[in-house]
This record gives sequence, C-alpha cells and structure tokens, in this order.
Amino acid sequence: MKRKFLLFLCLFWVHLVFAQENITVTGKVTDATNGQPLIGAGVQVKGTTTGVQADAEGNFTLSAPANGTLVVDYLGYERQEVPINNQTTLNIQLSPSATKLTEVVVTGYGTQEKRDVTGSISSVKSEELTRQASQNPVSSIQGKVAGVQISNTGQPGASPTVRIRGTGSILGRAEPLYVVDGTIVDNLSFLNPADIESMEILKDASSASIYGLRAANGVILVTTKRGRTGEPRINYNGFVGVQRVTNQVEMANANEYAELINQKEGTELVEPNQPSTDWYDEILRSALITNHQLSFSGGTDRLSYSLSGGYLNQEGIVDGNKYERVTARLQTDFNVSDHVKIGYNGIFYDYNSDDVPTGVVYQAYVMPPVIPVFKEDGNYGDPIDYGLGTFGNPRAALDWYNQKSDGQSLTGNAFGEVKFLENFTFRTSFGLNYAINEFRNYVAEDSLTSTQVARRSTLTRSKSKATRWLFENTLTFDKQFGDHELTVLLGTSSQEDRNETLAGSANDVPFESEGSLYLNLGDPETFLITNSAGKSTLLSYFGRVNYSFLNRYLLTATLRRDGSSKFPEDERFDYFPAVGLGWVVSDEPFMEGQQIFDYFKLRGSWGKLGNSDIPANITVRVPDLDNPIYIAILGGIPYPGGTYNLAVPPTLFWEVVKETDIGAEFAFFNNKLTVEADWYNRATEDAVFSTPLLGSQGTLSSEVLGNFADFRNRGFEFVASWNSDNDTDFSYTISGNFSTNNNEVTAIATDLPQFSGGLPVGRIFTSVTRVGDPIGSFYGYIVDGIFQDEQEIAGSAQADVTGVAPGDFRYRDLNGDNIIDARDKTIIGNPNPGFYYGLNTNFRYKSWDFQLDLQGVGDVDIYNANKGVRFGNENYTKDFYDNRWNGPGTSNEYPGPNLKDANIQSNSWFVEDGSYIRIRNIQLGYALPTDLTKRWKMEGIRFFVNAQNPVTWFDYTGFTPEVGGPPNSAGVDLNVYPLSATYNFGVDVNF
Amino acid sequence: MEKIFKKVKRKVPVLAFALALGALYACDKDFLDVEPQAATEETFFETEEDAIRSVNAIYGNLREWKVAAFAHLALTHVASDNAEKGSDPGDAAFMNDFDNFTASPTQFILDDYWTGQYQAINLTNQAITNIPPIPMDENLKNRLIAEAKFLRAHHYFNLVRAFGDVPLITKISKEPTAEELNPGRTPKEQVYAQIITDLDSAAMILPVRYGAADVGRATKGAALSLLAKVEMYQKNWQQVFDLTQQVMGLGYSLTPKYYDIFRISGENNSESIFEVQAQTIPGNCGASNSQWAETQGVRGQFGWGFFIPTTDLENAYEPGDERKDATILYRGEVTPEGDKINDNAPNPRYNQKAYVPASVTQECGYAKDQNIRILRYAEVLLMHAEAANELGNTQAALDALNQVRNRAGLSDVTVTDKDELRNIIWHERRVELALESGDRFFDLVRQGRAAEVFQAQGKNFIAGKHEVFPIPQRQIDLSAGKLTQNPGY
Repeated sequence: MKRKFLLFLCLFWVHLVFAQENITVTGKVTDATNGQPLIGAGVQVKGTTTGVQADAEGNFTLSAPANGTLVVDYLGYERQEVPINNQTTLNIQLSPSATKLTEVVVTGYGTQEKRDVTGSISSVKSEELTRQASQNPVSSIQGKVAGVQISNTGQPGASPTVRIRGTGSILGRAEPLYVVDGTIVDNLSFLNPADIESMEILKDASSASIYGLRAANGVILVTTKRGRTGEPRINYNGFVGVQRVTNQVEMANANEYAELINQKEGTELVEPNQPSTDWYDEILRSALITNHQLSFSGGTDRLSYSLSGGYLNQEGIVDGNKYERVTARLQTDFNVSDHVKIGYNGIFYDYNSDDVPTGVVYQAYVMPPVIPVFKEDGNYGDPIDYGLGTFGNPRAALDWYNQKSDGQSLTGNAFGEVKFLENFTFRTSFGLNYAINEFRNYVAEDSLTSTQVARRSTLTRSKSKATRWLFENTLTFDKQFGDHELTVLLGTSSQEDRNETLAGSANDVPFESEGSLYLNLGDPETFLITNSAGKSTLLSYFGRVNYSFLNRYLLTATLRRDGSSKFPEDERFDYFPAVGLGWVVSDEPFMEGQQIFDYFKLRGSWGKLGNSDIPANITVRVPDLDNPIYIAILGGIPYPGGTYNLAVPPTLFWEVVKETDIGAEFAFFNNKLTVEADWYNRATEDAVFSTPLLGSQGTLSSEVLGNFADFRNRGFEFVASWNSDNDTDFSYTISGNFSTNNNEVTAIATDLPQFSGGLPVGRIFTSVTRVGDPIGSFYGYIVDGIFQDEQEIAGSAQADVTGVAPGDFRYRDLNGDNIIDARDKTIIGNPNPGFYYGLNTNFRYKSWDFQLDLQGVGDVDIYNANKGVRFGNENYTKDFYDNRWNGPGTSNEYPGPNLKDANIQSNSWFVEDGSYIRIRNIQLGYALPTDLTKRWKMEGIRFFVNAQNPVTWFDYTGFTPEVGGPPNSAGVDLNVYPLSATYNFGVDVNF
Repeated sequence: MEKIFKKVKRKVPVLAFALALGALYACDKDFLDVEPQAATEETFFETEEDAIRSVNAIYGNLREWKVAAFAHLALTHVASDNAEKGSDPGDAAFMNDFDNFTASPTQFILDDYWTGQYQAINLTNQAITNIPPIPMDENLKNRLIAEAKFLRAHHYFNLVRAFGDVPLITKISKEPTAEELNPGRTPKEQVYAQIITDLDSAAMILPVRYGAADVGRATKGAALSLLAKVEMYQKNWQQVFDLTQQVMGLGYSLTPKYYDIFRISGENNSESIFEVQAQTIPGNCGASNSQWAETQGVRGQFGWGFFIPTTDLENAYEPGDERKDATILYRGEVTPEGDKINDNAPNPRYNQKAYVPASVTQECGYAKDQNIRILRYAEVLLMHAEAANELGNTQAALDALNQVRNRAGLSDVTVTDKDELRNIIWHERRVELALESGDRFFDLVRQGRAAEVFQAQGKNFIAGKHEVFPIPQRQIDLSAGKLTQNPGY
C-alpha cells in the first residue's frame, strides 16, 4: 500500500514538472461601491491549490495558466470567477453581499455555499468568537446560535453543558460531537477561542449524518485559523480583568438567624446579639484574569503558515481556585505543485489548576452566621460547640483542601490533497489526539472541627492517558455540466481509541514539601491501586451526493456505514442515511419582478443518526470476587468472598435519532434583512435507560440497562439579522435568534418510571423520567398554602401525621384518600427550557466599535434544593427571614422556620422559575488612527474594554439560574459554583 | 514522457479508488475485533476454595448497610418502643414514619429491607445450590452448606417476621421459570417450615465450637438457639424448652459484668452464641464497613446519633438495674473508658451498646470494630424461662430468669403466678436485650400486645394492620401485581 502511494505521488511530481504552461497575472481587488482596496482578498486559480492574498493596497501577483480562471473571494462580498484569457493584468471589483447566504460554510468533509445547503447549519466566525472574553470556545457561542442551548459554569476551566435541539440521551453522551480540523475530540477546553476561524453547528440529521454513529446529538465542527498568502502578520491580543460574583444570595445575619432558630426550637437556643460571620465573604473573592495571545502568520503562493501561543491565568472567585492554560499551535500548508497540497497542524495544550472542594459553596450557605471563623483559641469555629449540630467550617475546608490537577494534550492532523483530471480531489488525512491528565489530592492528618477530621493522612494520585488516531481518505468529484452541478464524495474512515487510568492511594505519606507527596513514602499496608483501560475501534464508509439543477433545485443525499468494536461481531454495523431537498423559490421565473424577496429558499431534510457513546455493559456472567462487602472476618482475619450476584443484562446497542427538519430562508430589503426559520422533530429511539429488577432476585444492582426508552424533541428556530449599508463612517448589524423546544419521553419498554435527583437528606428524589413527561421532570407534592393554625391541620389530610404544626406546608391530597403519601406526588416542574434566545448587536462609527449581546432562557424551572436540604440548624436566606410564616396570617406561601420531616419532601415550593435574561457581553473598542500607528510601524492598535455577564435578571432565589446537571436530574440546584461578571481591559495590536 | 503521462491519466482514478476504499479493506475483518480491556467470563464454584469463598460472602454481607444498618434499625429499633429516630431533626426524617406507624408502602426503607434480605438469600442459595457438585473434602462441604442454611434461616426469619408471607426461593435455577423470575408470596407457615428444616439440618452438622481461626462461623449452639427462637414465635413451648435445654448443655456462661459484653474485649466471649464479625482492616476501609454502631454513635462526637433510647425504655429499668447505665449513654456523662460525652450533643441519650471508646482506631470511621450481637446465652436462658413458665415448670423458669437478673445486680424473683411471671419474663427480656439485635417490636407482636402497648404510648398502631410492615410498593409494581399487599395498607 505504502509503495503504491509513493508511486502515486511520484507520478504527480512528473506531472507538475512537465505540464505547466503558466503566465504571470497581476491585478488589484477593490470594493465595487467605493473603490477601496480589499486587503487580504483571496485570489485562487480554479481547480488548483494555487492562490495568493491581496496585499495592503489590494494588489496581487500570481502565476496561472493562460486559459485558466481566477476565483476571487472576500468575506462579506460576492464571490467572483474571472477568466484569464491570456490577460496579464486583471482588476477585479467585488460587490458587498449584505447577506450571509454567499458565505461558505464548512460541512463535514467539505464546504458549501450557504445558499446551497439543504440542512440546518449555523456558522459562527472568528470575529464573533473573539470579541468577548470567554475562555472556552463553546461558552463564547452562548446566545448566538438558534437551537443550541449552552449552560455555563462559573468554575475556571470547566466545560459548559451543550444541548443541541434538546436533551436526546440520558445515560449516553448528550453533548454534541466535536470535530476540530477533522479530528474528533471530546471537548473544546484545549482550544483558545482566538485560534478558531469558524465554528459550524450541524443541527439537523441530514447535515450531521456524514458523522453517522456519533452524531446523534449534533456536531460542532471547528476550523482553526490557517496562514494566508501575504506579508507576515504579527498579532498580539491581551487583556487583564477582574471577576466578581454576581447576584450573591444574601443570608440571614446572626441576629436574624438567632430569631429563626429560636422560633423553630421554641426556646432560646441561640443567643441574639452575637457577632455575625458572612460566610460568603470568607470564601469568595474578586478574582483576576490575564490573557495573552501572540500569533504569527503569513505565506507565499507555495507555503503558508500560522503559529500562535496563548497564556491564560484565571483565578476562581472561590478563594484558592486557579486555572492556568498554555496553548500553542503550529500550522503549515505547502502547495507542492498546482495540484498537490500537503499540510499539517498541531495544537498543544497544557493546563494546571488548584482545585477547591466540591461542596464548599453549599457549606457557606448552611453554616450558621453565629459561628466565628476562628475561635478565641485559634481553632476553627465549630457549630457543635454551640449545640447547633454538625457542619463543616467552609474556611477550614478551603484551607485544608490540597488538590492540584494538570494535563497536556496534543491534537494534530496531517493531510495530503491531490487535484486531478480537473474534477477530482483526493485527500488523505491522519489525525492524532493524545492527552494526559493527572491529579493529586492530599488530606493531611488533622482534626479541624468535629466533622472535619482525618485520622490518617491520605495521598491519592491518578494519571490517565488517552490516545486516538483517525485515518481518513476521501475522493471528491466536482463538475458542472450545463444546468447541472454535481459533487460526489466518497470516503473511508478508521479510528482507534485507547485510554488507561492508573490511580493509587496511600495513608501516612508525610507532607514535607510537594516533593514528598509520592505514594511510596506511605504505609505499604494501605496501598490501594486501581487500573482500568478501554480500547475501541471504528470503521466507516461514507458517501454524499450534492446535486443542483438550475441552481435552484438542490439535493443532498448522504449515506454512512459505521461499525464499532463496542458491539457484538455480527451486529456491529449500521447504515445512516439522510436526504435533504432545497428549492430556491426566488430564482423561479414566476418570482421575477417581485420586489419583496431578494432570496427565498425552502428546504426539508430527514436523516438517521447514531450515538455509540453509551455506558459499557457486562454481558457475560462474571463472579464478583473483589467486593469488599463479601470479605468475611473470621478469627480476626479477613478472608475474600465471592459469588454470582448479577443479572446478565441484554447487550446494549447504539441509540438512534431520526430527525426531520423543515426550514425556510429569506432575504429582504436588498439583502439587508435575512431571516431563517426551522421546524424540527428529533426522535431518539432505543435510548439507553435503566429498568428495575425484582428485589426477590437478590441481585446486587437493582436495575439493568437496556435500549429501553424513546424520547422526542420538537421545536422551532427563528433567526433574523439586519446588516446596515456598508457606510464608511457608520455601520451596524443586529441579529436575533429564538428557539423553542419541547421534550417528551414517548415510550419506556417497561412503562416503569425512573426516579432520580436524590438529595443527600432522606433520599428525597426530586425528579422523574416517565412516559408522557419531559426527561427529569420535577416530581413531588403540590403545596396548597401554609397551615395557619391547629384547626386547619385537623381538617386536612395531614391531620393524622404526627409532628405537623402551624407554619408547615399543606399538601394537596391528589387522590383524595385523606392521606398524604407518595401517591399524591405529581409533576411539579420542568428543567428543560421551553425557549431560549439571543440578541447580538455590533455598531461601528469611524474608529469606534461597540457590541452588545443579550441572551436568555424562558419557561424553565429550577429545584432549589439549597433551601430544602436541611438536617437541623442550617442558616436561612434573608429572603426567607423576611417572608417566612411567623404566626397566623403572616404568610400563606413561605413556611415557618421548622423545615424538617414532611416540609422538606420534594414539593412545589422548592420549584422556582428559572427564566433569565442577561447582558452576555458589552464591548467598546477604539482603534488608533492608522497614520499614527504607521509611524510606530504597526498596522493597527485597538483598545477595548468589555464586560461579560455584567447583569443577569432573574427571579430565582439562588446564585445563578444556570444550574446544569445530568439529564435525568438537571436543574437541581445544590452547591452550584457561583457565576461571576468579568470586566476586562485589553489591547489588540497588528504588526 | 507523454506516453507515461497518458498512462498515468488513465490509471489515476483507479489508483485513487484503491487508496480511498482499499486502504482498510485488508484489515477490515479483524480491525473491529478488539479485546475487552477487563476481566471476561471467569469460572467459579469449581474448587474447594470457591466453596469457601461463597460462604465467606454470606458472612461478609451481614455487615452490609441495608442488612446491618439503616433499614434493619428502622424496622427493629425505631419501630419498637425502645428507640426513636434521634440525630438532627431533619436528618433522615423518614425514620419517624417507623416510630409513628405512618410508613406507607412507598417508603423506600421498606424496599431497602426487602432487597437487602433477598440479596443475602441469593448468596445463601448460590452456596447451597452450587457447592454440592464440587469435588472437595466432604466434611468441609457439609459444614459449609450447613452454615449457609443457618444464615438462610436467619434472613428468612427476618423477612417473615417483618412482612408475613414472602416469596420463598431456595435454589438457583440455570433456566429459571416464569414463576421463579416473578415469584408470588408463599404462606408464612411454609416459610417457617423451611426455616425449621434449614436449622434442623444445620444443627445436626455444625460443630459446637471452632478453632481460633474460624471464630465467627455459625455453630451448633447458634442453630439450636435460633431454632428455639423460631419455635418460640410459633409458641411451640416444648420444643423451645428442649432446644434451650440442649444449648444450656453446650458450655456457655454469662459474662460476670453486663457492661463488658458490649465492649470489644467482650466479643465472642463465653456468653456469645452468634455475632456479626466487624473489624477495621487497615488499608481496606471497603471491608471495614459495618455501620451498625456508627449510625448510633454520639452525633458530632463519634457517629450519626440515630436510634436513641426512649424515655419509656429509660423508665423501664428497676432501681439498681446495672443494665440501665450500660444501655443508655447520657449527654455529658463520662464513660468508664474516660470519654466525656459532649454537653452540647444534639440528643439527650444514645445507645451505649453501640459505644466504642475514642481510643479505638477510627481510620475507616467510627466503631468499625464493634461486632453486632445476634444471639447470646442470656437470651437462651430467658427463652428457657418463658417456655418453662408456659409449660408450668415454674421452678425451671425462675432459675433461668434469676441467673439473668442476678448478673444485672437485681434480686431473685419469686413470683409463681403464671401470668404474672410471664409479664416479668417479658419485661426482663426487654431490658436485657434492649437496643441489640432488635427483637422488641416482633416480641410485642408475638406476645399479642403490640396494639395495647403502642396505643398506650399514643402511637398510630392499628391492630390487624401494623403487626406486619407493608410490602414495598415498588416490588408490587415490578411484579405487575403478582405480589399482594398486606391488609390495611
């Protein structure tokens, strides 16, 4: 094979040496409306890889066949094809295209003009990504794309939750597939947004089906920046900023707390008039953020390159939290000849973080304010000393937590591309993804408070390694004959994934310095090792036909055949077909002369997708030999046990999504207004879901997994953009998007509901997944007010329940049996948003630019578990203090402070409106006059100030309405890392 | 040159196709055959070692959370009048449903109890079904099966007392029938018959005692004592009398000081008949997993603070009864081992039988070394006394009873009236065994006075309903209604 390939290359070398008959063409590219030069416009010889970019005056020079054709491209302008016809000078004028419809979008294994696309693909370009200060590329598209819901977390370095067109999987991966320059990756946290050229979101099945078995929850394609022909460009972009917590929840102070507890207890348990500790002040801080990015790019007509390095240092707003990231990228494309191009890119990522304990934010929420951070003797304040119960001191938790994580990854890709026989392109590509992650955690031997005790020190270290390679070969045929235009793609792909984790722990490792934290210094008797690994392969064949007739009847047909080693030998392949149809109505003769539409396209698609990223399942009967609970202690000596205790579940297969999409695209007012609307119906079939087993079978696990459930997501998406005239002094764009989604469980094989969202108190389940309702719906009692007096209790269904007192919740007796029990529970909320939207604006006046982005979510609920996880004397919010029931007639909404027993059962009082609207980003920029910068030998300098998430409006009484969580217990707020606003000042310099 | 070029031109598409599609053709077949990166099918129940391990698993499982801790303690301690929930008021508030008899069939603790016992029964059935064909030492084989049968009886006794009729599963089928996959409830008489059969055959084979390396295994005495208790629940007084008589001849004796029974030094002593063995195993906290004592330890100081003695129990002790101080650990008290109990502890009293001094290792958590006392000689004496009284053998009853009383620092009882003596023995049984293995609730039901006692304490006990707990609704649902509910629920 290798020899054949070399032969193949050799033969083409011959071709390039002997087959050229070129002339030199020079020219200038300008704006047709005002004659301004178009700096950096792309000029390419059609059917070849030869191309240059116009320089600062718009001039270009290149060598091309005398009878060839030049393709001239500039972002925001109509593409033009200019026949050379032996001319050596060509001046080309491009007309601005206000519409995005001529934009080129990246599809899987190819590109297409937006106007030819028959599916639903959203595209976000680099300037939109970089004009805000998000550290994660996915976070930066929040609110910018219809049909894509992104929930951020405030934790530095953490990836946001992404749902494309709703939640399509519960136990499998519900996130989209990420493809960076053709390489499949698990998330995008290794990428600096400034390195991205564009992100394409493939939302419907016909766009995504080219990724077959892994595309069920949508695909995000990332194209990183590549060097362009022209003078070397150096760009520095940097900012410094400060992050501050927003919407901090105000807690009761010492006095208010004393009043509440004493009311609850009916005696003076807590002395009033004590000094008050604001626990949030003790753990939260204003945090600094610094970001630098230096890039270098350029190229000749043969070679282009781009090279960049980035450094980010972000403190978390929880004291002690820090995240540091270094990214480096190197990319080179080499045009070996007119017909052969090779290239590679490599992205290196390194991070390290100082972690904070999970739960510390919740600890600060519950810790009584009467407890001092430190006692007079210098020890940490402890509620047990005050008879208030057992709470961890959050400050002690932070001070004593010692965990560091770090990791490196290399994501790279090398390709070779050959164009031949005018219409054919063959491309081979090899991608590699190599990642190492490690962490170490050290718990020192100490006794901080009565609950924060470590009798022995414990050191835990973990290292994991993942490697993946991907080898892909595609052959593209592209030809126009008459009114027919045809592109055919054929390809194969093979992929291998390996991962391994090795972790160990030991007691009694002394802490002398970081250098003493190695396991071998601990007590050998306590060594504990875990080691696990995984390996899988994927083999695929795929093909796609894009056909258009008269440029107005469009067809895309895709078929992918995927086989994965994860599944049994004879059942591991599946076909993923898709078809998309488009009709450019505005190009029909009967539309000629109409003044309304500049452009009007109807499109529809259907396709099938798969999700193979599902939990591993044991399908053979294996004895349980390692279970520590089976160790018998006899005569003081432990002896291992063993038995069979599993039900052998059915083999798990991939989840299948079948999606229909119907859309329309319009352009009005001379292409200034573009509108796009979609309706979709995504049906997930055979989703992995658990079904319970009869207890009498005696199996260790009370459930088995199977392809037991079907879900459905259905909704509308609507996008409208207004682009002003390209006036030299003033221009602006305003773009809005609005999406709805309706999620429903349509079938469960066993008809049995799955309860989830168990709270740490009393195994209270907040959520249910059952047929006919959305995934993870909140489930509990309906509160019908507050019992005002004993009489009301006596007349209610709770009359016989001991301990019910005035100030408690009155629950609705749904089945009317005069008893309140689990049979009175019902759906009390939905964590899946009904709609979400964004508004993005961009204004430019002379050297000033201004952006304002808004984003919001509506028709969604949050279960505020912070209020309900109560063991006894936890603190309350100020809101609770102000509004609580405090004697007959004081409140029929808030209960009294005695929140225990029946009061903390899952109920509608804990369910709150989770809608919000937020200023996502405001930025003001000023570019220094070019004559000044020229004097300093610079192309340009721009200064900017921005604020990210400065204001969020919501009614929810927690820190943030962006709660997240796994699909079947989403929206349950317990210890969510607070969100922060970031204020930055930065500079962007081009040399 | 031109010739070559033409030739190439014709061949290019072919070559390209070969590359694109053929690249992987050769390796297609085995490329997707990936070795699993974990253990695959293993064989078990083939050697003597496997047989031993399968029985070890049943012993180990006695420490399991549902079997030893929350579910068990909810249905025994909390449901009785000896203990109430304790701990912080909001923590595990559902426990109050067991105190007040308001637990509905959907209460998850019931499901935990049910599944916990059946998981244990699966372990016994695996051993009893799969050990016989193993070629191994026959004596050892028979003993292992006998141990498994004793333990199966123990778990079925727990189930039948809690729920009445329950599915009776006694073997593992290679190809289970529909009935075996979804078994209905077997009448409790049949369940008791199976328990008696298991204990009879276990008692015949099990040795009276083991060597030091096997301490903790079921003995003949354990099988006979449990059988006596099972017969007592059937009111087969002659059998109870004979069986306890037999046990009394096996060499057990009372520990001189009552307090010492519940200390680590008192584990497996001459009074002990069967205990769940628990221990801190350095470096293996997964196996140091008994939470029986941790859940009951002083909250904020040692453990979680649940299942605290009621005032009713506190008041039940006669003046001068040493057992009161040994059973109830008071807020602020200083223990004989020198631990000062927090003055600010959230509850006034804790179970002192679950107390382990602070000096004992806590590297895997509090009180992982505390064995759970299931059967001890004092109970055999009290069963003997109860049976003797029922049979009219008053002197034998008084002799046995007074042995227990004298050890507690109390004087002899001389009452000879049968009904009066019965009440005295019942009372003695309560204070002697309070907050141990948890017979109090079931004793009250057996004695036919549960409604009377609980109603007098103001609880919602309804006669004819609350003698048994409801079948977990979840299990009824899963069985598609094959399992029926107990009356009144």
